[in-house]
Order: sequence, then C-alpha cells, then structure tokens
Amino acid sequence: MNRSTRFLSALLLGASFFAIFLAWRTATAPMDFADLKTVLTTTTATFGSLLGIITAGLMFTHGKFSELASELGEKTPHYISDTLPLEKIQTIGNNLLALRKSFSILITQSTVEEEKELYRRVIGKSSSIYIDFAILSDLKLKQQGLAETDLMISGMDPQLYPAYKKERHRVKKEWQILATIKQVVDTWEGSTTLVMEKNEKRTSLQQDLRSSISLLGLKEKLDKNSKQVCAEAEEILNELAEDLTKIGGQLRQERIPQLLSQMEQANTIRGNYFYFALAFIATPLFINLLVLPQLSIGTASFFQPVISITSSLSVMGIAFLLLYISKILNV
Amino acid sequence: MKKTTEEKMKTLLAKYTYPPVEVTIPILEKAGRGEEELASQIHEIDVSILSGLMKIFDLKEKNMRTVAKIFGVLLSYYGQKYEPLVLSENRFSLSVSDCPMLHVGKNVNVATRSKYCDVLCSSTAKALAKLVLGDSSRCSWDKALIRDGRKCTVAFELVKSK
Repeated sequence: MNRSTRFLSALLLGASFFAIFLAWRTATAPMDFADLKTVLTTTTATFGSLLGIITAGLMFTHGKFSELASELGEKTPHYISDTLPLEKIQTIGNNLLALRKSFSILITQSTVEEEKELYRRVIGKSSSIYIDFAILSDLKLKQQGLAETDLMISGMDPQLYPAYKKERHRVKKEWQILATIKQVVDTWEGSTTLVMEKNEKRTSLQQDLRSSISLLGLKEKLDKNSKQVCAEAEEILNELAEDLTKIGGQLRQERIPQLLSQMEQANTIRGNYFYFALAFIATPLFINLLVLPQLSIGTASFFQPVISITSSLSVMGIAFLLLYISKILNV
Repeated sequence: MKKTTEEKMKTLLAKYTYPPVEVTIPILEKAGRGEEELASQIHEIDVSILSGLMKIFDLKEKNMRTVAKIFGVLLSYYGQKYEPLVLSENRFSLSVSDCPMLHVGKNVNVATRSKYCDVLCSSTAKALAKLVLGDSSRCSWDKALIRDGRKCTVAFELVKSK
C-alpha cells in the first residue's frame, strides 16, 4: 500500500467515523415517514447519477488502456522478429549460463561473506535475465509457428525452471512482451527512469559484474588463481554489454519505458481508486435501495443514522470517482 | 555516428570501475595484506578516469577550477551529495555528506575505515597532482564522516615553494 493510498484510507476512515458520530447525535430527533421517503428518493436519484459517473469512468479507462495497448502492440512484432533474432537470444542465453556457472564456482571458493553476496547477486540477476529471454524465445517461436520448442528450457536447472514457469504464466498480453524486454534492460543497466527519491539503491547486473571483475583483478595481484575467471567474465561482460545496450537504446528511442510506465500507472490507479470508489457506492446502494424499503416506519426511524451514514458514503464515492478521473487524465 | 558527451562519459566511467570497498576491505583484512595493490589499482583507475574526463570536457587549464569541475562531475556521477566551500587560485575545498567508508560492514572498526580512507583519498590526490596540480599541491581530508560527523571536508592547496 503506497503513501497516498494510506492517506486516502485514513481520510475515509476518519470521514466514516465523523458521519457515524453525526448520525448518532441526530438519532434521538424524531423523524416523519414522509421525510424518510424523501431521503430515500433523493438517495436513489444520487445513486442513479453515480452509476452514470461509474459508466463514464469505465469507458474512459477502457479508452486510455486501449490507446496505450494498441500503441505498444504495434511495436511488439518488430521487436520479436528484428530486434531479437533467435541467434542473439541463444548467444545471450549461453553467456548468462556461463556467468552462472563461473560465479557459482567463485562462491564455493570464497570465504568472505560480502564477496559471496556480490557473486550471488550476479547469479540472481543473470538467472532473472535468462528467464526473461526464455519467455521471449518461447513467444517468438510460437509467433513463428514453432510452438512447444522450449529452446532455452533445457539449459535450466531445478531452481530456475519453477521461476520460469511462474513468470511465463504472468505474460498474457502482447504489450507484456515489451515489459519483459524492459525488465531485461533494467536488470542489466539499472532503471533509467528518472527517480527523484533515491531511497533504495539497487545495483544493476552490469555494475555487479564490473565490480566483480575489478575485485578479481585485485585478487589476481594477490594470487594468480582468479586470472582465468576474470578474463572470461570480462569477455562475457563485453558481449552482453554490446547486445543489451543496443536493445536498451532502441527501447528508449521508441519511448517504450514511458509508455509502459503510463500503463503501470493507469493500472495502479484503477486498482487503488476505482474499486475502492465502487465499494463505497455499492454498499450504500445495497442498504438504501434494498434493505431500507423493506422496513416498517418504526424500524426505518430507528435506522435513520444508517441513512445518514450511507448518504455520506455515497458523497465520498463521488469524491473518489472525481479523484480517479483526474488521476487518469494525468497519466 | 559521433558520440555525445554524456555517452562518452558513460562509456568511460563504465570502463573503469573501482573495486567495491565493502567487499574489498573484508578480503584484504582476512588476507592480512594487499593495501599496496589496492592503492595502485585505485591510482590506475583514477588516472584513467580523470584524464578521460579532462579530454571529454576539454579541460586544458591546470588549475583549481579544473579540479573543482572534475570533482563536481565525478561526485555527481556516483550520486554523492557535496557542497563547494572555497574556490580560489590556491585553494579548493568542498564538503561531502557520503563516503564509501560509510557503506562497509558494521563489523569494520574505525581504525580500519580510517586506514582505507587514506588509501582511497591519497590515491585520488596523487592522480590529481599528477594530471592537474603538479607536485606543489597538497590534499587533506578530515575523516569527519568516519567519526560520526555529518560532513567531511576535502581540501586542495597549492603550496608555494620557498
């Protein structure tokens, strides 16, 4: 839950308590049945308007999503066929597996925990990129009518395969292919999105690999054992840098990270605000339209505070919808 | 296609990477040696980076202004916050609020941090003396961050020969 959601939840909770308090204060006042009917009619009309706003909100979101998805969808086939030829995917895959192997050996040779941690990071990020390329290879082969070829799965070990299955299951839409490619680039060179808050410093694979090579270079001066691994890692680093930096450059040139970030933002807004607003409208709707009309005059008078609360909730629902639409417009 | 200044800088700084101190210090401490090797490696990297930056930014003047520019670029690239304090013909000083020694493990004591702070800073000072300021320059650092201070002051001075 992010900060703004927490703030909004707190605000709503506070408003709900305030509404309950107001209702409790007025509960003792007598109420005429005609007045109660007027309240119900007004609430019904309010709900009608709210439903109209919801429909408009839904249509607007759908339009925004379609626009972004079609823009990204248009670019996807080109990436799959031209930017990522099968030979390149295979070369990158082999290099990543070689890295995993070399650094696994380095971990067993090291006795210093900090050093082991650095090598573990290299292995983890290499595995993550390998999984992403396995997904891309699978989708590419499917697109070209070579389904179930599973070219890169044979190179996976028992730890890697479940992670691949999980990630592969996640990619369902065409635009998610580009999100996978962006994930590869981000893991390799670090996220280049302009981040104002630098609270969390995550290193990239490129950075970890360069640090490892520099460290191995120093160890080489102390003992001669790490010479071969260092040279191998440097060669792999150069090859990966050439391939992945080119892919990253193309992504940025075509504004893919920005478009994906807009999709992500729109998704978050929908999740955080829309369903929240929907719940706030559905609940009073259910109470005011279905429960209250079934009650006798006496019981309805007794439930007068409920009407006040549900009416407050529906007002909050409107506020949420307006907030939601304004956020969508700013995506 | 001609590379932009940013691209040249990115390539340069990616090519020469410092060994991560948070990993290097425990290794050298365990081995009980290797400080000289570390100092020479850092010096080589410093010389390569500094001469590369001078070439990229076409910094031909060998004065404090050049040192200030190089420091600004380098510290910003590595995400370190700094504040320039004095810039004159004979003196340049700045304060930094972050230092690689703050990122080493908690089990590394102050004396060890101080020792490696000297290794790192003296290597850079030597590289700057070699490339920009010449033998008459002096560099000092107060290690305040290691001793729980908020900012560390680094100063370069040109000492007039008698």
